[in-house]
Amino acid sequence: MNGPHDLGGMQGLGAIPIEENEPVFHSAWEAKVFAMSFATFSTFFPVDETRHAAERIPAGEYLSASYYERWLAALELLLTEHGWLTPAEIEDRITHLRQTES
Amino acid sequence: MSATHQLETMTIETSNQCMTAAAAKALLQQGLSCQVNSDLPPQFQVGDLVRARVVHPATYTRLPRYVRGKVGTVMQDHGVYVFPDTVGQLLATKPQHVYSVRFPAQALWGPAAPASDALYLDLFDDHLEGP
Repeated sequence: MNGPHDLGGMQGLGAIPIEENEPVFHSAWEAKVFAMSFATFSTFFPVDETRHAAERIPAGEYLSASYYERWLAALELLLTEHGWLTPAEIEDRITHLRQTES
Repeated sequence: MSATHQLETMTIETSNQCMTAAAAKALLQQGLSCQVNSDLPPQFQVGDLVRARVVHPATYTRLPRYVRGKVGTVMQDHGVYVFPDTVGQLLATKPQHVYSVRFPAQALWGPAAPASDALYLDLFDDHLEGP
């Protein structure tokens, strides 16, 4: 698809920030998103399907999201599209965690 | 290659089995090869001029927009691989040859690009046609 991921030739996006000593994960949730997504690679979703799911994030959101925010959005999209989870279940879990962790 | 022909028409089904920690570690360390053992003939030869197809699928594709309609040269045949454009839709593995195709930078970006620069893209049979 002609989505926001296909950046070749685009201008006006600014410089690419280069971090010195960039960590693999910038916070613990990123590692969890990586682990959850990785556990679905090839067993539940071909990696190409996962990539395409990320590309289907609305363009404005895609361009302003961080790398692992895109991974999370792609995972939630596929889990709900394939009927493994409902959006309501995800929201309920977020609410539950927010209450128990605060 | 009857096995290959079966794959070509099969809708992709995943195991939907939870990955074990050992399997995850192996996948992380070794990766997953998408190469297919096949005697499928290539559509193009090293040295051929090829044109990237002008297509705008709404579905998954590994063919970047900026190269569509451009002419390049086949520099290397990597062998036969499953086709991500159809795998991404769970349609078929559709194995085919993948080539390293050289596009002069000026063919893509115009005369402002350095004349000596070139871009090498890995493209599949289905992405390409004759010049």
